[in-house]
Amino acid sequence: MELLVDSFLSAILLIFSLDTEVLSIVWVSLKVSGISTFFASLMGVPLGFLIAYGSFKGKRILIIFLNTMLALPTVVIGLFVYSFISRRSILGSLDLLYTQKAIVIGQIILILPVVATLTIAAISRIDERYRKTAMTLGANRWQTACVIFREARFGIVAAVIAAFGRVIAEVGISMMLGGNAKGFTRTMTTAMALEYDKGEFILAVALGIILLVLSFGINLIFNFFQGRTRV
Amino acid sequence: MLYVLSKITRKYGSRTVLDIPLMEIEKGKIYALLGPNGAGKTTLLNILGFLEVPTTGDILYRSKTVNFSESSLQNLRREVVMIDQHPILFTGTVYKNVEFGLKIRRISQKKRGIIIEETLDLVGMSAFVQAQAHRLSGGETQRVALARALAVSPEVLLCDEPTSNLDVENQTAIINTLKQINEQRKTTIMFTTHYMYQVSSLAHHTFFLDHGKLTATQAESFKLCQ
Repeated sequence: MELLVDSFLSAILLIFSLDTEVLSIVWVSLKVSGISTFFASLMGVPLGFLIAYGSFKGKRILIIFLNTMLALPTVVIGLFVYSFISRRSILGSLDLLYTQKAIVIGQIILILPVVATLTIAAISRIDERYRKTAMTLGANRWQTACVIFREARFGIVAAVIAAFGRVIAEVGISMMLGGNAKGFTRTMTTAMALEYDKGEFILAVALGIILLVLSFGINLIFNFFQGRTRV
Repeated sequence: MLYVLSKITRKYGSRTVLDIPLMEIEKGKIYALLGPNGAGKTTLLNILGFLEVPTTGDILYRSKTVNFSESSLQNLRREVVMIDQHPILFTGTVYKNVEFGLKIRRISQKKRGIIIEETLDLVGMSAFVQAQAHRLSGGETQRVALARALAVSPEVLLCDEPTSNLDVENQTAIINTLKQINEQRKTTIMFTTHYMYQVSSLAHHTFFLDHGKLTATQAESFKLCQ
């Protein structure tokens, strides 16, 4: 108990001293997670929209596939991407392994289904009367889609925030594809794992506190947008 | 004739919800569509509004056979507007809602402002122009939905139970507006209702629909409803 209290107090001091190592780790985490969320949203939102809005053969199977992908463990994704970007593999010449780009690729695979499925849910919740009203007022397919998108916007933002929350807290991909290189690919979660291995709890606790505060903030925003969808 | 429907059927799976051998609608008239719940009234309105395609049959609109391709229907929808039984307003202000159809038709901002002012005035909702649409009551929502439809000056207005669940004041306002636009703009109107007094005070002609079939003339309809 004493160890925890001491570590906690020291961690608080470390955070408020704006320690350069802590800042660097937090920055790498936010940068990598931000980029992967951006690209996953760029692909996942239109994908989810098309699946929810369109009617085509195999739609249900595709939704089941995406839902299954939600349960994919990060280490499986890490292993899968590793098999493509390791030195001797097909994309080895691109020198991606143990870079931030590699983490981004893995994280995109992780959260693309999250963004897509939550977008599908957000679009599906939109009342059918919006589509009908837009159409009867003379809107074409594109304009009708824009109306649906606009009405679902809070749900879609919530999908993006949920995805960011998922990647900022993941450890498997960052560790396997990033390699936990100090100053380059060391994220909050990989640093915490390393510090724990070393028996150095202060930095781990400090990063844990930051991660919790970030998660709290993300959940707060997520709940705000989820609430707006029910207005 | 504005519309001539011949041998129209609409099926959902094996269930036939609409079966109309012949139906003619004249321009500039008000039609009441009566019938019990599940008779196919809304389906018929959807077909007349080009929102739904019949399973079989032909529709002549302005003496031209309707081609049920999406692009063709989209052009026709610019002339026919349907107001739902429980209309839904888009997120945003009343102004933005009424502006929607006008913006789509690329009407200039200045002209849009004038039309919006006029139509909101017509339905007695001028004071709500900047109000948030989701904060309106049922009656106010119905009136804004009517203004939104009238703003685009439709040739045909289809109203699915326009006064259901409304108080007397709002019912009167809606009925008077429908009467007024028919007289002034010669807009063809078809509305569904369960209230006989609305039929007698508003409609020039009546159709009675039962189990998807037109079953009676006007006089017979009155008798059936009574």
